[in-house]
Amino acid sequence: MLQKAILCPTCDTLISKATLRHGIKAYCPRCASQVYHQPYCDLAGLAAMTLAALMIYFPANLLPILEINLVGNLRSTTVLHGALTVFEQGYWLVAIAVILTGLVAPLLLMLSILCQLWLLKTRRYPHLLRWLLLRHKTLNELCMIEIYLISLFVSIFKLIDIADLTYGWGILCYILLFIMIFYVQYEYNSQRMWDYYERQAES
Amino acid sequence: MNVRPSPKLRLCSGCELTTGAKSHCPRCGTALFDRRPNSLQYSWALLITAAILLFPANTLPITQFTNQGLTTYDTIYSGIVSLVDNEMPAIAVIVFTASVAVPIAKVIGLTLILLTIQRQWPLSKTRLTRYFHIIEFIGRWSMLDLFVISIVASLINMGQLLHAKPAPAATYFALVILLTQLAAKCLDPRLLWDLEKKPHHD
Repeated sequence: MLQKAILCPTCDTLISKATLRHGIKAYCPRCASQVYHQPYCDLAGLAAMTLAALMIYFPANLLPILEINLVGNLRSTTVLHGALTVFEQGYWLVAIAVILTGLVAPLLLMLSILCQLWLLKTRRYPHLLRWLLLRHKTLNELCMIEIYLISLFVSIFKLIDIADLTYGWGILCYILLFIMIFYVQYEYNSQRMWDYYERQAES
Repeated sequence: MNVRPSPKLRLCSGCELTTGAKSHCPRCGTALFDRRPNSLQYSWALLITAAILLFPANTLPITQFTNQGLTTYDTIYSGIVSLVDNEMPAIAVIVFTASVAVPIAKVIGLTLILLTIQRQWPLSKTRLTRYFHIIEFIGRWSMLDLFVISIVASLINMGQLLHAKPAPAATYFALVILLTQLAAKCLDPRLLWDLEKKPHHD
């Protein structure tokens, strides 16, 4: 059952829902907040992009993202290594924040979306699907790949005067990971997932 | 576009279903409320704590740097000044926005919205709502400085010769980000729009 009218989450105005073309967003007439949008690609496309992101995730986080030459000493780092360094120095809250937003949340987000798509396709375990759908928003907000990438560029500019920097495959993989996750987040539509969930529960 | 409001309908906070159900959402089972319960109390508590922690986060050093046995400390502000001195104005602007402007704008903006709701200030609701969405969107970018600290600390570690480490303000700064994000999440923006129903010239 598709809904004819919805309440705006920001100002509670009742809005009659119109069918949108692909890539079009609808805004609330009263408070001008975005209320819903129509994604470009179907669930198969979303699954393909999520799989691609998951495949690039491991080289992006295992290969060194940055290598420097400090007066003859080579140093390299990964997201996890950076977090563990500040953990050992006693700043465990900072370390947890880095691990959670830069490492754990992106992985869980991709795994969760893949799992949701699989559960929709196989029509299995509706309770697990509901559990995942309810946690999607939090996971999505905790995933901060784009901020990490910009931080990487800021670090490069800070270090470029002190040491010789080399860029390996790691940083390329990380940029690709950012692009894939960006598209996955853009194409994922919670309302569409809930609609499919509801149809599955009814049948 | 506008449909006449029906008092029976409510929005589920779990799956955003508009439903006429009484206690629980028929689709996802989340308990239904007209407005987020105790929204203002939670939001104020988190916001005031964050505003207090903003002081140690900005006055204490956030990084320490050892160069040939000599250790210097940088606060958020002095770090930005040294970026400008080293002729990296673009990077300085990014760091300033993420570490100084965004946290302060979040605290001021949320305070303004909360006071408008409670004191019924005649501020533009459309403008405050837009400000609220900007705060929601841009707030996470404060994490930038913490990421940079972890990257630099893991690369520059040569003991007394050359060593970069975080300093106490890093933890306070992490707390400010966490608390302001939670404060924005707890604030129910519909309370702002409820003000329109209250005045007598309805």
